[in-house]
Amino acid sequence: MRPDPFVRLTRLTLLTAPLLAAALAVPAAAQTLNVVTAGDQNMVDYVNNFLGPRFEKMNPGVSVKAVGTGPGDAGSQKIYEKLSAQSKAGNAAWDIDVAVIHQRGAATMVKESLLAPYRNQIAAGKLVTRDTATNALGTNVDGFVIPMFHSQIALAYNPDLVKAPPKNFSEIEAWVRANPKQFGYNGVKGGMSGVGFVMGYVSANSGLAKTLEEGPYDAGKKAAIDKSLAGLKEFNKFIVLTPGNAGTLDMLNRGEITMGPVWVDMFYTWQADGKLSPKLKLALPEPGLPGQPMYYVVPAKAANAAIARKFIEFAASPDIQAEGIVKQFNWYPGIDAQHVRAKLDAKSWDKLFTDIKPDTLERFGRPFPLSDYFTDILEGYERVVLK
Amino acid sequence: MNRRWAGLLLISPALFVIGIFFLVPLVLSVVSSLQAKGGSWTLAHFEKSFELYSTDMLFTVAIVLLSSALIAVVAIAIAGYLTLGEHERTRYLLRWLYRWPLFIPFIVTGQVMRTFLAKNGMLNHVLIGGGLIEPLAAQSLLDWRGIVIAFVWKQAPFVTLLLAGAMASIDVQHTEAARNLGAPRWRVLLGIVLPQVRGTLLVGVVLSFVTMLSVLSVPLMINPNSPTMMTVDVAYRISSHGDYAVANALCLISLVFASLGAWVYLRHAVKRVGGT
Repeated sequence: MRPDPFVRLTRLTLLTAPLLAAALAVPAAAQTLNVVTAGDQNMVDYVNNFLGPRFEKMNPGVSVKAVGTGPGDAGSQKIYEKLSAQSKAGNAAWDIDVAVIHQRGAATMVKESLLAPYRNQIAAGKLVTRDTATNALGTNVDGFVIPMFHSQIALAYNPDLVKAPPKNFSEIEAWVRANPKQFGYNGVKGGMSGVGFVMGYVSANSGLAKTLEEGPYDAGKKAAIDKSLAGLKEFNKFIVLTPGNAGTLDMLNRGEITMGPVWVDMFYTWQADGKLSPKLKLALPEPGLPGQPMYYVVPAKAANAAIARKFIEFAASPDIQAEGIVKQFNWYPGIDAQHVRAKLDAKSWDKLFTDIKPDTLERFGRPFPLSDYFTDILEGYERVVLK
Repeated sequence: MNRRWAGLLLISPALFVIGIFFLVPLVLSVVSSLQAKGGSWTLAHFEKSFELYSTDMLFTVAIVLLSSALIAVVAIAIAGYLTLGEHERTRYLLRWLYRWPLFIPFIVTGQVMRTFLAKNGMLNHVLIGGGLIEPLAAQSLLDWRGIVIAFVWKQAPFVTLLLAGAMASIDVQHTEAARNLGAPRWRVLLGIVLPQVRGTLLVGVVLSFVTMLSVLSVPLMINPNSPTMMTVDVAYRISSHGDYAVANALCLISLVFASLGAWVYLRHAVKRVGGT
């Protein structure tokens, strides 16, 4: 006799369950290098379209697989959470071989021993000179990171309408009052170019610039921070809030605003792609706006640590930094500029410094404040400016 | 195998999924929102939520309520014309057109609105080109209005779909009797048709209300700056601060708003089951 339909259905469910489980499990491939990168889509493109194919050609049998975790600190946070979970679970081999992360993420991961010290084991490690290779927002990350590139926030403006761009923050303030609703930035919830502008504003107006960057941390400075943010609240009455990093560029391009803080690399890439008017220019006001590197790191228990080091060795080599980082993606190099410059024609190199000269960048390209101050400023912004 | 056990076994995968992927995370959320770093119990995360985000909470509720009301109006108008309209070709065209937004995800809606509603966007270009407004009077709609427009555009077809179905199943004799006695169409719609389908309308609007509460992409793309919707704040607490405690507190507050919707929905659903 045939069994009851209920029972048959139950058996069917029980039979298919293992199949489903098998389909969800990730098959293990022998030589796949898993690269996980925070940041915008261009980071994933860079690894998949530029670095990956070249590295695979040099290393037959290895395939490079890049996954993006999203822009801003949120992207690094996701990588941190994954590594932290694998560490807490006591896994012997972690499934991220190379990660590309922001400074805040690197600081946290080094503090929690989630990363392997590898810089001194590879040749390119010796080409790194900027202080960001040892110091991430006040945390010592020496040996754990190699900067992939540096990026910088600057003021983009329309030179047809702004003959002389503001040279410092008080000139910005004056310009904004004289030209209401012509300045735009993306607040603190719409991406890092807005966050960077807020940091720059507080640095310039609180008299704390040096302390914010170098510490020591003192919770008592909140009052001074809040006071400068009260000025920003007033400032905000004369400006437009834009929806995101790309939103600021879009509005500049459509002529809805004449000035606003943007990422330099996005600015040049958009111009190269024809998404942004070639007329727009950049300026870096005194005492500066923040910039940051992205770091190559190797998790403490990466399954393919040896290939991972080889990959970073390749990615940080002067040839790749010149061709990929500077020429194709318009980032400032991660390793010392002199090694990269030697590999490039003058035109490609000068393009990076069309509007902002190297000495200006040197003086006014600031790091972000220490993590604790960073948090205080963001929360102060919500409490003082947004209320 | 006896029948009762078979039944339990059959629903067990569903119960398991609900338990593991909904109830456990919910309990973890509640715990995380009430626990201080050291593990002691605290209300600090809720205090912080109200201190920093009370404006956004009001903003969220106001936006969603306003959108729900507008959705109801648009849905009644479209479904009403589909049911009572007399011009066959217009009805056909409208029926074909109104469903399109149903198939477009929220994030795409956000992206489309971002260029459509901008100050120098397509809407203003059309209005200026048509001589309807002066170029200087053009303003950006990328604030609360943009969010409301995106929500209504996206959700009204959903409610219309439900409502038009319900209206179509009303006995034609009712409307025809009213028309024969000389009632204009708008009176037939409001006086005869609508009262018979108000249950469906309510359900549609409540479902939209709850959906809109949870949308992140639209406010994030149109207006992530203050005031903004709570979903943006939740994402921001996690992504910029790694602060799950306050994010969870905000989620629970949002859950309270959503449960109000669920309460209305259940009360109505129960009444209907009891009535038949």
